[in-house]
Amino acid sequence: MLELQDVHVRYGAITALRGVSLSVGEGELVALLGVNGAGKSTTLASIAGGLRPQQGDIRLEGSSILGKAPEQIARLGLSLVPEGRDIFASLTVEENLRLGAFTRRKETEYRRNLSEVFDLFPVLRERLPQPGGTLSGGEQQQLAIARALMSSPRLLMLDEPSLGLAPALVDQIFDLIARLHQRGVTILLVEQNVDRTLEIVDRAYLMSTGLIEGHGTPEQLRTHGDIEGIYMGVRRQKD
Amino acid sequence: MNLAGRLKPFNTPLTLVAIIVVLAGITALLGISLLTRIVTVMFVSMILVLGLQLYMGNSGILSFAHIGFMGIGAYTSVLCSMLPAAKMLTNPDLYPFLVQLHLPFLPSVLMGALVAALFAAVISYPLMRLSDAAAVITTFALLVIIHVVMLHWDRVTNGPRTLFGVDNFTSLWTSAGFCLISTFVAYLFKESRIGLRLRASRDDAYAAASIGINMVVMRWLAFIASAFFAGVGGGLWAHFITSFTPYSFYLTETFVVLAMLVVGGPNSVSGAVVGTLVVTGAREMLRAIENYVNILQVFPQGFFGFTEMVLAVVLVLILAYRPQGIMGSNELRWPPWCRKPAVAGSVQSVRPLS
Amino acid sequence: MIDLEFVINVLSLGSLYAMLALGLVIVYGILRLVNFAYGELIMIGGYTMYLLAGFTPLPWLVIASLAVLAAMFTSLFTEFVAFRPVREKSLTAMLITSFAVSTFLQNGALLMISPRARAVTLPPVFQSSVMIAGTSVPWRHILTIVTCIVMLALLTLLLRRTVLGIALRAAADNFAMTRMLGVPANTVISTAFAISGLMAGLVSIFWIGRSASVTPTIGGPPLLVAFVATVIGGMRSLTGAVVGGFVYATIISLLGIFLPPDLQEFREAFMFAIVILVLLIRPQGLIRSRTSVERVG
Repeated sequence: MLELQDVHVRYGAITALRGVSLSVGEGELVALLGVNGAGKSTTLASIAGGLRPQQGDIRLEGSSILGKAPEQIARLGLSLVPEGRDIFASLTVEENLRLGAFTRRKETEYRRNLSEVFDLFPVLRERLPQPGGTLSGGEQQQLAIARALMSSPRLLMLDEPSLGLAPALVDQIFDLIARLHQRGVTILLVEQNVDRTLEIVDRAYLMSTGLIEGHGTPEQLRTHGDIEGIYMGVRRQKD
Repeated sequence: MNLAGRLKPFNTPLTLVAIIVVLAGITALLGISLLTRIVTVMFVSMILVLGLQLYMGNSGILSFAHIGFMGIGAYTSVLCSMLPAAKMLTNPDLYPFLVQLHLPFLPSVLMGALVAALFAAVISYPLMRLSDAAAVITTFALLVIIHVVMLHWDRVTNGPRTLFGVDNFTSLWTSAGFCLISTFVAYLFKESRIGLRLRASRDDAYAAASIGINMVVMRWLAFIASAFFAGVGGGLWAHFITSFTPYSFYLTETFVVLAMLVVGGPNSVSGAVVGTLVVTGAREMLRAIENYVNILQVFPQGFFGFTEMVLAVVLVLILAYRPQGIMGSNELRWPPWCRKPAVAGSVQSVRPLS
Repeated sequence: MIDLEFVINVLSLGSLYAMLALGLVIVYGILRLVNFAYGELIMIGGYTMYLLAGFTPLPWLVIASLAVLAAMFTSLFTEFVAFRPVREKSLTAMLITSFAVSTFLQNGALLMISPRARAVTLPPVFQSSVMIAGTSVPWRHILTIVTCIVMLALLTLLLRRTVLGIALRAAADNFAMTRMLGVPANTVISTAFAISGLMAGLVSIFWIGRSASVTPTIGGPPLLVAFVATVIGGMRSLTGAVVGGFVYATIISLLGIFLPPDLQEFREAFMFAIVILVLLIRPQGLIRSRTSVERVG
């Protein structure tokens, strides 16, 4: 469904992505793993249209979305939940969700998505009229994901959803992601929590300093992948 | 090290100085009084634009107050240089101690610059902590305050009435000379530790702070220096035009100086010089067109404002399609094909959308 | 003297200034752009009234509506032609652009019409008054206050009850995120500029209504008022803009009574000095809003 081919991204003098290629198939739960600064967030931002790659191509269901504006990409069914729970603090929970459904015109679809969201995140129903800024960290993360789901996305991208959350909440989030996966949502997950991630994903990519260093199923990565290398900085010798 | 080696780091300012001297020389040789007037005023404008570049180019912050300091410099220098009798003639209400004041031309100009710089020092320190929109609005507020005070402080400025009778001390070579010095000083500032630190903190405030750069103080010093330049420019201009009102130091002049800097390129001293040359030339041509149309009487109420409109359009086009201006952050060097690379970071920095 | 007449004057002036500030803040909130050309929208409204009232037999309500439409159209036009191409560049570029647009429009009026003031024929209602509780109250004060109330109601309705309004508020909170939800940037920004033009147009009616004349530089004073009111109230908050407008009107009216006569001329300077003070002590203005203006020192 989603394909990146040799994507290069530069900020001024810094090259953040040095030729990233990956793919996500329909219904898959794929992870992008790596330490801070590896380029994971940059990759997601490029897909979502926040950054324009200097080189390479990004294809959604065969057609290129390179250089499209973020709003166009969102309309094509791509939903990004950025790092840090970027909810609208001054808008109510309901308004946040309403805006999440912006690309969907039909009121019936809105109601259906809303009830599904309440199903997954019952706490949001209680907090509906409250401003987003009054929610706790965990609730805000739920709101951020719920908001992304309101648009019935074809591809959901999550940037470190467990970051900064208490361990109990981290469990909740990973359970939720697994459940969404079971419902058939295609997901690209960026995470630093390797263990939990490998428990639930179909495949994962290992990323380091702007490149994909390894790729495979969780079993393959555990046996053959250089996970320690990427996280500890102890590199296998390159020839 | 031989002479050539010693001079090499000064390639840019010397090149610019050479341009100024050549221009002045040609003008003097041609002896056309209109041209001499235009070029004299151009050098004064250049001083103003260099001062603005010093602050804006290095700190990355827009300042609207610049022309206000020019006005302070103008009035101060004039009150120093005029004979008491002449002062009484133009402004009978003038404070007695101001009437008695009398200094030669050069000290008067310097006095004007000092007062402008002092005023800038006092009023701007608390403002240096603000960022972006707040900083811009406060500089605009400064311009307005200075303008209103000049307009109403009759006992000093003669209020909205014309202050006339100033001696015409500013000759072609006077303004050229000050311009040369200004170019050198602006360049030295840019390459100095202060300039470097200021640009570092502009590009990344937190990183700069972490290595001990005090951005507020750096900005403040640059602001004072630019006010000094403006004060010099004001003093020179006042002694050229010989009569003026507070309306000479407000929005139109601010716009023109800004245009000169943006067209030339705000990130380099050469940009200030080149921008002034180009815009002055363009304005004179446009004015000639305006005059011609006026003679033809095509517009019954007069053909005015055409110059400013064209300038405005050009300015927006440059900001949209070549925001780094003509010089594009580069400095002029001799020979011209040997370009010093652009200073990292600029007024317009490449930023991702999100 | 603080009496009913004073209170009504302040309410009327405050209403005017509140609408003025609103028009400025709505664009600032989303784009961080202080639109220097905002004053010229009032000028456009004024000249439209001058031309239509002086040269056509149209009824005044139509003229006023057309003036408002002219201001809105100009606002949208400048957004499309000047601000949109510069939007992706730096904030400084946008600021300078707004200054250039302001210069362009002013000199356009100078060129097309005249550098001299032009008298605007106003309808009789602008001169007549009505007796309320023993005081003679000019009709235009009442009209200003009513217009302000109606506008605030409509704006609140838009911002709270419509999806577009929610999108506008979201854009002021986090523009990038709003786009990622599929909200078109151009739609949001154009709407903001349209509202800005609407406010300017309405203000122009009542501003011209005070002086009955228009010049190319008439946009200057209201622009300054808008700046001050916005800064006092808090630059990111619409409520703040309204509060700022009323606070400005109150202070300047009080200064008018309590300042010694020879300092009266410096009222504007005083107001601007207050701006600087407010920004120093409380950069986020009087009204607390979610995000604060950063200080760097």
